Amino acid sequence: MTDKKTIKNVSNIIEGLGMNPNSEAISILEDVGTNSKVDAIREMTSRALVKRNASDSLKVVITNKGKGINDMSTVVAMSTINELLSLQDKSNAMKVLEDTVEMHSDEEVRDNARSVKALMALS
Amino acid sequence: MANLSIPSIRQRLFNTSKHEETTQRNSSNPFAATSFKGNVLTADVFESSAKKNDVQSNEKLKASALVGSISGYGEKFQNMINSVISFGNRVKENVVNGWNKLNSIEISFAPAREVMGSLYGSFKETMNTPMNEIFFTGISAKSVSKMEDMAEARQLLADNVAVWEAAMV
Repeated sequence: MTDKKTIKNVSNIIEGLGMNPNSEAISILEDVGTNSKVDAIREMTSRALVKRNASDSLKVVITNKGKGINDMSTVVAMSTINELLSLQDKSNAMKVLEDTVEMHSDEEVRDNARSVKALMALS
Repeated sequence: MANLSIPSIRQRLFNTSKHEETTQRNSSNPFAATSFKGNVLTADVFESSAKKNDVQSNEKLKASALVGSISGYGEKFQNMINSVISFGNRVKENVVNGWNKLNSIEISFAPAREVMGSLYGSFKETMNTPMNEIFFTGISAKSVSKMEDMAEARQLLADNVAVWEAAMV
């Protein structure tokens, strides 16, 4: 059983890295956070990357198979989509989604991006 | 030849049985010896007026004696009652004093130093254990958001994620 302190530490680090202006923070989140075997950590990381609302951070959760909206965990995927839908400025996300739908090599990733794009257009 | 003795005549008139003849009766009922459908009335249902008067006079005597005794012992009863009341008051007073003593013991007899010591101990114990949880002394998001050493930030996240993952196994 994970203690509350560890959960709080991980949550704060991910949130802090999401706010850190250094672009290296995104790669840290991608390498450590989105590759974690713990669903909750992947979910936190994906949401932090979406909140950052930068092209590089959005690409991590939209274009990568098995991460963000393409995560095997429904909870992580839906949470990421919900965070995308909650964005005030959706322009960056829409641009990344369009590029993914048009240019990504993986069909499943394209389909997912298309679906999320349709949802964001409706919201 | 007919028997003309009194018992034989009585038997002919009232048709009494042998049992009735042998039974001794002290009642004033003149029909006590009479057979009633074959059953004998044994209870004395008739009371003479003279006997009743005797009872009444006896009761009157007893009642007057009782009243006399009560009026004679009135002062003694009063004294007894007074003593019982005073005894009750004393008991009540003792109980109240005892209760007050108990209350005062709880407050004043507990050594102040011991009470303060236990209070301080419990306060210290309360503050020591939950302090780390209530006032989170771990890593804050604000401090991480201002971190410039990204290698340190990476290590920090990797270590804490490893702790979480280890706990999940």
